[in-house]
Amino acid sequence: MSASLNTVLQSASVLITGASGGIGQAIVAACIERGATVFAGGRNEEALGAMQETFGKALRPLVYDVTDEHAVKDTFRQLQRQVSDGLAPPLFGLVNNAGVMLESPLSVTSMDKLKQQLNINFLAPYQHMQLASRLMSRLRRGSIVNIVSQVSEQGSKGMSAYAASKAALTGATKSLAKELAPVGIRVNAVAPGFIDTPLTEHYENEARQKVLQRTVLQRAGTAREVADAVLYLLSEQAGYTTGHVLPVDGHFCP
Amino acid sequence: MDTQQKLQQAFSDALGIPPEKVIDGLTYNTIPEWDSTAHMVLIAELENVFDVMLDTDDIIDMSSVAQAKLILQKYDVSFA
Repeated sequence: MSASLNTVLQSASVLITGASGGIGQAIVAACIERGATVFAGGRNEEALGAMQETFGKALRPLVYDVTDEHAVKDTFRQLQRQVSDGLAPPLFGLVNNAGVMLESPLSVTSMDKLKQQLNINFLAPYQHMQLASRLMSRLRRGSIVNIVSQVSEQGSKGMSAYAASKAALTGATKSLAKELAPVGIRVNAVAPGFIDTPLTEHYENEARQKVLQRTVLQRAGTAREVADAVLYLLSEQAGYTTGHVLPVDGHFCP
Repeated sequence: MDTQQKLQQAFSDALGIPPEKVIDGLTYNTIPEWDSTAHMVLIAELENVFDVMLDTDDIIDMSSVAQAKLILQKYDVSFA
């Protein structure tokens, strides 16, 4: 690991949403290992409390619902207050990791379910990028990483609502990379394929094998492998990379 | 430095123009220096200098120096 990667994260805070989930916890651990202070966002107070016991002062829990517009604003105020009080370094990174995956064919997808997908997977990350970029632009530096999905890149039967919501986030990623470059902020995305997490635990063996047969590396990915990709895009090692969607999918072939 | 001078300096730093050019009538997009990118930097600068977090609606409305003063007054920044 290069010194520059360590340096940039050692003097930085990173906000990670969905921090108590499978991939979220791996991203938190990876960032803290590299010396970052992590603002860990999530709804599960108990899980975030347990993580704080593990990581100590390097982890600052923020309990809120990412779809609650006012709660998100209050959370950013809290975050900035901690920075202003010298309790945490300035915000350098944002990882929009919170998301939900709906498996539902077109004919039985209600508008409420569709809106829920869009709210959590697109509107919430968008608001986070809006507020985070304002804090980052004060220092003219920052790195945003959105967790999208190979489902949105390739399409998947029975997952159109989820795919659309993640595709929206991919579009925003590429556009904001152009818009925020002049103020020193890079915007990238990681697109995981089939990853072993609580989200995919319900896959029965047959369904799991079907997915793995279409994966060149013939195995599921790990949360740590996704976290390593996120860490790379956050770091200065990816200083010349913006507007990129990095697949972490073992080369999934639909 | 009083709040009026702080405001002038924030505009001057964010837009890269001399402080004396920062007058109430100065309006967004009427000079090349105040484009959409500079507007973002300006918002960040104002939030930093006055230690506030502006609502998106206020950012949209912040189309002139005069407007900026009115909006900042909502956040308890007074211009005597």
